[in-house]
Amino acid sequence: MRIALAGNPNSGKTTLYNALTGKNEHAGNWAGVTVDKREALIKKNLSSDKELLAVDLPGAYSMSPFTSEESITSSYVKQEKPDAIINIVDATNLSRSLFFTTQLLELGVPMVVALNKADINDKKETKIDTAKLAEELGCPVVETSAISAKGMDVLVAKVAEVVGKEQFAPFVQGNIDLHSKEAVNTADRKRFDFVNGIVSKVETRKVLTSEKNKQDKLDAVLAHKWLGIPIFAVVMWAVFSISQAHLGPMIADVLVGWIEGFAEMVAGSVEDASPFMQSLLVDGIIGGVGAVVGFLPLVMVMYFLIALLEDCGYMARVAVVMDRFFKKVGLSGKSIIPMVIGTGCAIPGVMASRTIRNERERRTTAMLTPFMPCGAKLPVIALFAGAFFSDASWVGTLMYFAGILFIILGALLTLKITGTKVRKSFFIMELPEYKMPSLKVAFLSMMDRAKAFIIKAGTIILVCNAVVQIMQSFDWSFQLVEEGMESTSILASIASPFALLFIPLGFGIWQLAAAAITGFIAKENVVGTLAVVFSITNFIDVEELELVAGATEVAGIMGMTSVAALAYLMFNLFTPPCFAAIGAMNSEMQSKKWLWGGIALQFGTGYAVAFLVYQIGTLMTTGTVGDGFIGGLIAVVAMVAIVIGLIAKGEAKADEYALNGKVAAK
Amino acid sequence: MTLANGTIGTTYTITGIQTDDEELNDFLFTLGCYSGEKITIVSMVSESYVVSIRDGRYNIDVNLADAIAVEA
Repeated sequence: MRIALAGNPNSGKTTLYNALTGKNEHAGNWAGVTVDKREALIKKNLSSDKELLAVDLPGAYSMSPFTSEESITSSYVKQEKPDAIINIVDATNLSRSLFFTTQLLELGVPMVVALNKADINDKKETKIDTAKLAEELGCPVVETSAISAKGMDVLVAKVAEVVGKEQFAPFVQGNIDLHSKEAVNTADRKRFDFVNGIVSKVETRKVLTSEKNKQDKLDAVLAHKWLGIPIFAVVMWAVFSISQAHLGPMIADVLVGWIEGFAEMVAGSVEDASPFMQSLLVDGIIGGVGAVVGFLPLVMVMYFLIALLEDCGYMARVAVVMDRFFKKVGLSGKSIIPMVIGTGCAIPGVMASRTIRNERERRTTAMLTPFMPCGAKLPVIALFAGAFFSDASWVGTLMYFAGILFIILGALLTLKITGTKVRKSFFIMELPEYKMPSLKVAFLSMMDRAKAFIIKAGTIILVCNAVVQIMQSFDWSFQLVEEGMESTSILASIASPFALLFIPLGFGIWQLAAAAITGFIAKENVVGTLAVVFSITNFIDVEELELVAGATEVAGIMGMTSVAALAYLMFNLFTPPCFAAIGAMNSEMQSKKWLWGGIALQFGTGYAVAFLVYQIGTLMTTGTVGDGFIGGLIAVVAMVAIVIGLIAKGEAKADEYALNGKVAAK
Repeated sequence: MTLANGTIGTTYTITGIQTDDEELNDFLFTLGCYSGEKITIVSMVSESYVVSIRDGRYNIDVNLADAIAVEA
């Protein structure tokens, strides 16, 4: 039996879905986190052993879709004929939610209303007479609090009761001409009048929503014109500081101790094997994977903190603050949501761009979201921050805001190249109530992502490291490479031509080139490959409570200056993301031209940024420019020339639109 | 007048939405933002308005505020 979960955005559908099924899907305290449908069986102890399939749908305000993810919802409940619908109603906003409820009731699918967020109502002393509401709607109403999983058993029992039975819609639109705008509008007004009637009968409210409250005082500071961005910067700095300089490394130390012990144990048990097999297993697989997994605690702490931020309602305010700036470059505050999600992983981030209506805005957002430092990039940041810079937390924060800066610049460039005049765009964002973030939700979200991280480390990363180890152990005649002849290995000969290209960026050695290339498969590979090619078994020092073992030593082995290291780090962060994220970009953009344009932009950004950081940094620290300056300059100037050419073309296009009297809207 | 020239803390009655973007119009309708309904300006943050429509709180930008025609 299929049970569809439908309701307004941010009414708590996904939280309820998680409570019903025991799944751990990403939920956030703002509208539009879920962009696709998903299904899972309801927990056996709730469903009394019947096979009940819950289907989570994106939020919608009505049956007439506004964005593509809303149309998933209306077409699912209309066409797929679920056996029952659970309509999640935000109890704090009955007067809006019931509009959709009455539309759903007209479908003739048995329905139960889950009156969610009942706990917030209690606090505000808003009372809803559920018995009366059930009577008015003609369907059962169950009070729930999805966040604390209250009312789930009653809800499922009610659903089982109504399935197969007939319900009568309390409001029927009747036979109206659906093509007549006016007729539809009149009917919709009648529907709202009907809803108003119900609300006045069932709801008593002490605190009016229109009154100023504590939330507004908080908004006045957090979403302040000038303070908003500095506050956001401090919040992100705190996230990076706790996860990368304090709590994260503390836990990492313990974990790395275990990994070392494990590696020694394995090394001991394969003592009799061939030296190649030993090094493949101990240095390649355990060393490479271990180097990545060692950073897991940092990533976990970061995910935990971000989950707290998402849950408390702050992120919607960040969107409000950023809207002003994003609007100037042809995006809107809505674009910040995919970017926030992209801080966890670029793939769901890119998918979240679906909530943006305007095609150009949507494609631009999908193209630029991967500039955010995702969880996979975190070990890379942590490694370089620890090895080359004294305080790890500012490096992370700097990379985060550099990401936002490149997004803004990239959006501006896209605007110019597509020849779009900044059109009059409208921004509306529901402001969710602030609440104490749930530690449990954050913990579960963290564990879920940690699991994914470990699985990735044990599969893709493991295979990549093994391949890298094999490729660096053999030369093209499949003979083991002797010590001191590493540059004759297969890996070295493949990576060397790329290394030439990287000379102007300060890291023209094949080992670093190889690590950057494996990074396209998964960004964690950069760390794993560096561990393998430089035979550093682990980066985190167990004894010295230091993030990176003998920082100067690691820096020495890699043979780079701090400036070159920063350039290398930024190159890895701001080039195209992993292949999986590129795949997500492809499916959201639905245009090969945009996809290749996006990849070119990402490569160009990575190269140009690394070039500028290395050359300017070297000039400042040593007084002369770095290696390969002329070559790199030619490359960057060529890129700039191409971009200027494209902008000129874009402007010509914009003028053409103006001449034809057309609005250059898309 | 439009909501953009409204004052903070005042409740207005919407007289119409001035836009040729029909989808936006329909969307606002589903939130309960249409002629005859009430809208309150709660506060201003970051050059945008915090408004209350029915029992929902929204942040809207100046462009949108300017498209909502209201009367006191």
